[in-house]
Amino acid sequence: MDGGYNSYGGGGGGGGGFMPGEMNSPSGGKGGDRDNKTLRPVTVKQIVDASQPFPEANYQVDGADVASVLFIGQVRNISSQSTNVTYKIDDGTGEIEVKKWVDSALADSMDTDEGKVAGESKNEIELNGYARVSGAIKSFGNKRYVGAHNVLPVKDINELHCHILEATVVHLFFTRGPPGSANAGASAGAAGDAVMGGAEDYGAGQNRAVLSMSPLAKKIYQLLKTEPQDDTGLHMQQIASKLNTPATDVARAGEELLGAGVIFSTMDEQTWAILEY
Amino acid sequence: MSLQTPRILPAHLNTFHPSSSGPRSTHTIRILGTVTNLRGDQATITCGNNGDVTLLLKPDSHLQMGKLVEVVGKVTDLDGGQGLGIRVLGTTDWGNPADCDYKIYEQVVEATHRFKSIFYDAE
Repeated sequence: MDGGYNSYGGGGGGGGGFMPGEMNSPSGGKGGDRDNKTLRPVTVKQIVDASQPFPEANYQVDGADVASVLFIGQVRNISSQSTNVTYKIDDGTGEIEVKKWVDSALADSMDTDEGKVAGESKNEIELNGYARVSGAIKSFGNKRYVGAHNVLPVKDINELHCHILEATVVHLFFTRGPPGSANAGASAGAAGDAVMGGAEDYGAGQNRAVLSMSPLAKKIYQLLKTEPQDDTGLHMQQIASKLNTPATDVARAGEELLGAGVIFSTMDEQTWAILEY
Repeated sequence: MSLQTPRILPAHLNTFHPSSSGPRSTHTIRILGTVTNLRGDQATITCGNNGDVTLLLKPDSHLQMGKLVEVVGKVTDLDGGQGLGIRVLGTTDWGNPADCDYKIYEQVVEATHRFKSIFYDAE
């Protein structure tokens, strides 16, 4: 479990297993959530506000689990210890402590202090300079901090601004859904026009299950959505003639939609309507 | 709890003035501009097409003409009724103003205030 998780941070995160706070940290629960390898752009305030549904659970921001976070802020304090470096990062929305484990492999390969300085000069973090931090939200006792995979200096202010806007976009994605879906309900007709276009994916975005289905299943879903019909929906033969597709193909795609529970059969097995709730 | 420093443009100075209504928790702000004038303990920064702001410097402030700087400071009254200025708490040098697209900063200010919940506590 640890191996898979730590591979993210390379050697840098390798020492994480020895952290005294590990028992209380959420990383224990991460093993069951291997699919969530996303790196989310956030503000420090979002980290401070992140909730934990129960102790040792994954932290959540905007109701979605976060595996790793990415943020940019100013370094207000640097404190070097033998095993780790602790930074205090302030991005104008809050302040958070960041711990970066000293890469022992790297330190060993550079015997002298001078060698170390020369090797790190490119990536040197300066006091009151800006830094980009990627890592996982952890806690030790009641204190929240970020276990950093990486702490790198930021030299281009556009990078900072881009990050802030990116964090806003991701926040809106989780709180309001994918772009376009807000309008898709109001203008279902418009979404229907773009049956084969890229916009269709967002139109169907109201029902995520449909996104992964065959093109024909998507077409049927769109048709059921946009075609004028009574409460009983449309018969398979009607759908087949409207889409100009063999009835057997329609039946197969219909099975897909029925199986996923996005449509249901009404009068008989061959008459379908969209399941809306 | 830590200090929050909202990013603003010169037009927003009034809102963050200590006398403005509402028990706002902070009068400390962040602003971005190019140093266009330096005289003693005062400096002027130009914020894209959004006007100028007068800075009251600290003795250890090191500003350079023509550089892009990010200023953290408190909104304050200027002597002699010359309007509002900023008492500097800290500055960060971002180098050549040409390397920064000020339009993006304007969007950042807009976004951070419109979607406040992820940036700043309600005042």
